[in-house]
Parts: sequence; C-alpha cells; structure tokens
Amino acid sequence: MSSPLANAAPLLQIEGLSVSFETPLGRVKAAQDVCFDLREGETLALVGETGCGKSVVASAIMKLLPHNASVQGRAVFAGRDLLALGEKEMARTRGSEIAIVFQNPSLSLNPIIRVGKQIAEMLQVHKGISRTRSLQMAEDMLSRLGLVKKETASMYPFQFSGGMNQRVMIATSMILSPRIIIADEPSKGLDGVLAGEVMAEMARIKDQVGASLLLITHDLLLARDISDRMAVMYCGEIVEIGKSREVFSEPLHPYTNALLSCLPERGFQPIPGSSPSMIEPPAGCKFHPRCPQKQDKCMRRPEMVQVESSGEFSGANESTGREVRCWLY
Amino acid sequence: MLAVLKAEEVGKAYESGLIFKKRHIALRGITLEMVEGKTLGLMGVSGSGKTTLGMMLAGLEKPSSGRVLFAGEDIWRLRGREFLAFRRQVQMVFQDPEGSLNPRKSIERSIHEVLGLLKIPQREWLKRTGEILEMVGLPEELLCRYPAQISGGQCQRVALGRVLLLHPRVIILDEPTSALDISVQAQILNLLKDLQQELGLAYLLISHQPEVIRFMSHETIVLERGGIS
Repeated sequence: MSSPLANAAPLLQIEGLSVSFETPLGRVKAAQDVCFDLREGETLALVGETGCGKSVVASAIMKLLPHNASVQGRAVFAGRDLLALGEKEMARTRGSEIAIVFQNPSLSLNPIIRVGKQIAEMLQVHKGISRTRSLQMAEDMLSRLGLVKKETASMYPFQFSGGMNQRVMIATSMILSPRIIIADEPSKGLDGVLAGEVMAEMARIKDQVGASLLLITHDLLLARDISDRMAVMYCGEIVEIGKSREVFSEPLHPYTNALLSCLPERGFQPIPGSSPSMIEPPAGCKFHPRCPQKQDKCMRRPEMVQVESSGEFSGANESTGREVRCWLY
Repeated sequence: MLAVLKAEEVGKAYESGLIFKKRHIALRGITLEMVEGKTLGLMGVSGSGKTTLGMMLAGLEKPSSGRVLFAGEDIWRLRGREFLAFRRQVQMVFQDPEGSLNPRKSIERSIHEVLGLLKIPQREWLKRTGEILEMVGLPEELLCRYPAQISGGQCQRVALGRVLLLHPRVIILDEPTSALDISVQAQILNLLKDLQQELGLAYLLISHQPEVIRFMSHETIVLERGGIS
C-alpha cells in the first residue's frame, strides 16, 4: 500500500515525550524522547516487544498514567498541548475526540452492567442522545462488529468470551466517532481469523468516520497489513519510523531487521542476548550490546536522522518521512 | 523408530446436569503415536479438543474410552513406582508461563522443589541447578528473583528447565509460545529444537499457529470437532 497520507497535516504531534516511574527497585525509564506525528486519516502502528514502552506512550497521551509517573514533553492535538490540560478539559476530550481501546477488555468493562448500556452511556453523557435511541445505536455498532444477535446488547461482560468483550470495547470507542482512536493491542485474545475480521471492520469504520488510528501492537504482520506508517520502539525509544511496507521490506535499523527475522516466514531467527533493563539501560544506542553491526561510536546516543527512500518507495513530490536512530546512517 | 507414547481409539465425554444428564463428546476415536526425537504437531481451532487430548496423553485426565500406552503399557493400569516413572517421563509445558510457577517462590526455590521431590542429595543441588540454567540459557542472577520480576520468555525457560530436571522422554507442549512476543517465540522454538536434538525428546506440539507447526513438526494431525480430520 503506498500511503496517500504521507503529506497529510499532522493531527497529533508528540514532541520529546519522556516518561519515568519511581519504583522501589529504582527509576524505570519507560519512554525517552519519543517524537512522532499522527496525520489526518492515517493509521500509524507503534510496534515493539512487550515492555518496550508502547502502552506507556498511549497512556501518557490520554493522561491516564499512575501518580508515580513523571512526564515531560508535549502532545499537541488541535493546537492544544494535552499534557498541559486540566482534568475537566481532558475528560471532555477523552472518548469524544480521542478514544482508547485497552488491551484487557475484561478489566475495562463493568461486569455488572449490560454491554449495550455501557456503549449507549457514551452517547448519553457526551451527546445527550435519548436512552432508547442510544441503545439502538449501540446494537447497530455491535452488529457491525460481528455481534449480530439482538440479545447480545442485553448480555453482561462475564457472559462473553475475551474476543467478544474486545469487540464491545472497540464498539464503545468508535460510537462517538472520535478524531483519533488509540488501540492498545486490540487483537489480543482474538484468534487469527477473528482478529483479521475485527481489525478489518475497525479500519472500515475508522475510514467512514475519517478518524486517525494509533495502533499499538507487537503483532508485526497485523501492523504491516493495516497501517500506513510504522514506528519501531526498543527500550523506550523510537528507533525507526517510515511507511509500513518500506520498513518491512527494507528495514534500516539493525533492531528492526533482527525483529523481522524472528517472523515465521524468515525462519524464526532469534535476536541474540536479552532485552535490557529499563532501570539501567545501556549507554548510547540501547541496542548496541545485541547489535551485529556494533561500532565504537555506538556508545554515544545517535540522533534520529532523515533517510531518503530508495527504489519503489522513493517519491519526487512526497516526503517519505523515513527516519532512523542509528550511527550507520 | 521407537514409539514411546501411543493413543489407541481414545475418546473423552463429559456429563452435565443433575437430573437430566446430558453427554458432551469432546473427543472420539483418536489414534496416534509419538516417536523419540520427533515432533508431532496437533492443530485445530479453539474448542476442538487439543488440550483435552494433551492432558489425556500426560495422564492428567482419564479417557472415557480407548487406551493411552506408555512403553507398551496402559498408563491407567500402572501402579506405584511404575506410575511414578510414567509421570516423570511424560511432562507437560503450559501456555501461560507465569501461571506455571508459584508466584511466592523464588526461581531458585521452584527449581529446588523439583530436586527435593526427586530425592537428590542437597549437596548436588547447586551443580544441578547450574546445569539446568545453562541448558535453557538463563543467567544465574535470576535465581533470587520471583516470577513477576522476570519476563514471560524467562518464565517459560524456567518451566522448561523444571521439566528437564526429570529427564523426560516425552514433553507435551500446549501452546508454549502463544503468550510470548515474536522475538521470544523464536528463542523458545529454537531452544526446543536444540534440546530435542541433544536429548532425543519426543514432543507433542499443540498450536493453532500453522507456521509454528510447520517449523517444528515432523508430522501433523488436525483435530476438528473432537476427531482427526
């Protein structure tokens, strides 16, 4: 897919976002100097291994981090820095303008309220739509996501499987037609075929309402299939960003290359060594202890640099937005 | 090739209801053979009976019909020492690596628990623990940590290490990598392959991921609605 959105205006700009947590074991540096743009109508996938800081970035944007978190940087949405907003204003933005789908649906849904009512509540609170009408709209949204039986809306979350609850979460996030949807591992708990169907439906609804999607996932194939651009995170930092198909076929950063080599079609080649500690991360490039192309200067932190695309991915009139954090470039 | 574990026309049915009994057939007429040094892949959609079959082969569930044979003997006719020997030699690794370990025991205590059950003298524990950590590729500094303080992949390696202490001949792997990241999945699958080559283990690999089955298995069977399709 060549991205028609490469030059679209940024809707959300994340600038120098750093998040750390005070813990009894020490200061966990969960995200460091994270910068990216989410453009109008695009799907941007934030990919990386578990624990690399992807979900922390999402929670920071939504101001949903716990009290022991310290946040620096800016998250500019529609001219406002979300990180500087008060709780009242942020509560209005959450759900109606920026919605989030969490990775654990059974913890996010109220177990003693019928699912239809939970979805309809969003419409009643944010848009003042009547109870009957909002319940009807909730049922319609559930049926679009494959929960077609009429009685579905009057069931409780504990009567659903994890996959069905995940679809309820997706319906809840999309019912208000937000401008940005942040989906944190939305396919978790769904088996292969169902995951594909739900994600395709989610992408379709997203296009219909003209929203942008920030997809947070460790499923590289899902990210390749549905995103326009992809940002690869390692140990709290974005190490590479570019068009998804380009990152997949021509990875620049040695970590991206190693991660893609773990895929089944590339023979399950493991990355040597283990993930570094987030309390005492390696100095310089954080991947250098595991990197096959390590040099002396990797002990110093490389800056994010723009790289020209080659071959079929280069465009004369289009900014390709390819960036990498590595001394090789 | 030596068949270590066999299922002969194995079936499993469950009953529900207090007064009006209803019989649900989970598995019917399954026949298969597991051979030393080979991996048998077991595929099927959720609810097709994969895990039930694995549990019956591991002797954790009794079949409603048919027999499970270990070294030619029906496992449910084995008694005393013979049954214990079967239990040691046929082991199972589960999907959720953290759930496989006691959260209140350090990794060292979890490993020592197995050595204690095997009645290995305490003076040998340090050496045996070191050997097993090396085999599954874990550093010794993890020993003092608890399951919640290590990664999912490291937990799965500890679970595998505990199983290897028993010198099994057969390991039933129930979705051993489906809860892990792609990078950790690659590490664990390669480790399993190396261990099989080194120790001649027979694996039953239960998975819903065709690519994992293709990478690991010498032969594959597909379950559909409780039978082999």
